[in-house]
Amino acid sequence: MAMQVGGSGELNSEINVTPMVDVMLVLLIIFMIVTPLLQSGVSVNLPRDMISPDEDADIAKDTSVVIAIPDNSNFYIGKEQYPLDALGDVIKRRMEGKTPEKRIVYIKSGIDVDYGRVVQAIETIRKQDIDKIGLVADKKKGTTPPKT
Amino acid sequence: MAMSTGSTGGAVPNINVTPLIDVLLVLLIIFMAITPLKPSRFEAKVPAEPKDQQNVNVKPNPLTLVIAINKDTKQITLNNEPYGDVTDTEKLNTKLHEIFKDRTDNGVFREGTNEIEKTVFIKSPKSVHYGDVVKVIDAAKEAGASPIGLQIDDLQD
Repeated sequence: MAMQVGGSGELNSEINVTPMVDVMLVLLIIFMIVTPLLQSGVSVNLPRDMISPDEDADIAKDTSVVIAIPDNSNFYIGKEQYPLDALGDVIKRRMEGKTPEKRIVYIKSGIDVDYGRVVQAIETIRKQDIDKIGLVADKKKGTTPPKT
Repeated sequence: MAMSTGSTGGAVPNINVTPLIDVLLVLLIIFMAITPLKPSRFEAKVPAEPKDQQNVNVKPNPLTLVIAINKDTKQITLNNEPYGDVTDTEKLNTKLHEIFKDRTDNGVFREGTNEIEKTVFIKSPKSVHYGDVVKVIDAAKEAGASPIGLQIDDLQD
């Protein structure tokens, strides 16, 4: 309004930023909402900068079983903490009705955790007749895995 | 410019949005960077629990590759030959590349199938940090090893 009062006939050299701000705001809000939703479970100091892990979108799914081992004393499935001897039952329950090729348990372990703790978790997993495990690791940015 | 020529004396009802956009852009970039990458994982196999079959004659497979990590020195051995340590998996990776290339050229197949035998077993003492084990798995995977098996029974402390 104030702009139109001035320079009648002259060209208006101001950029109309309102639509841009609208788009920015919407994008910002989308990212703000989506970010916390993507981080499910406890935070774990995952192995980073790995060259060749396979991408697997299933890890983030609600139905998949992810055992998190943030330190040497705790096991988590989702956000719940379980003692080692209770893990088996939980895994069994959550694996019910899955096809054999979908029966995979993911392990999210911190890099400082002793391998022995991971082995304990794996032992529990294989007692449930599951022979596939996925070791979750972060891929190095900007690398593509070699075709095998 | 155009604004100041207009409404002389009266206040100009125009908001300066530039700082607002600056802040918004920065926030947007921060959130975009934080948003995690696609999750990825190494697939590993674990042997089924041993059943009570004491006297089964298992023929040792001459093609088996066992990578072991030394508890104290963190040295890596492949079938008992040393190939660097966990801080530098390059040697192991190169050797595995060589072995698999050799097998591909000579057509060394897994028994009963026509796939190249690329099975690798990883054996690590329990006190080794998980991060080091994953580094070794990464090196093996990069060389094309599949499946990767983790030895679970009878591990050293």
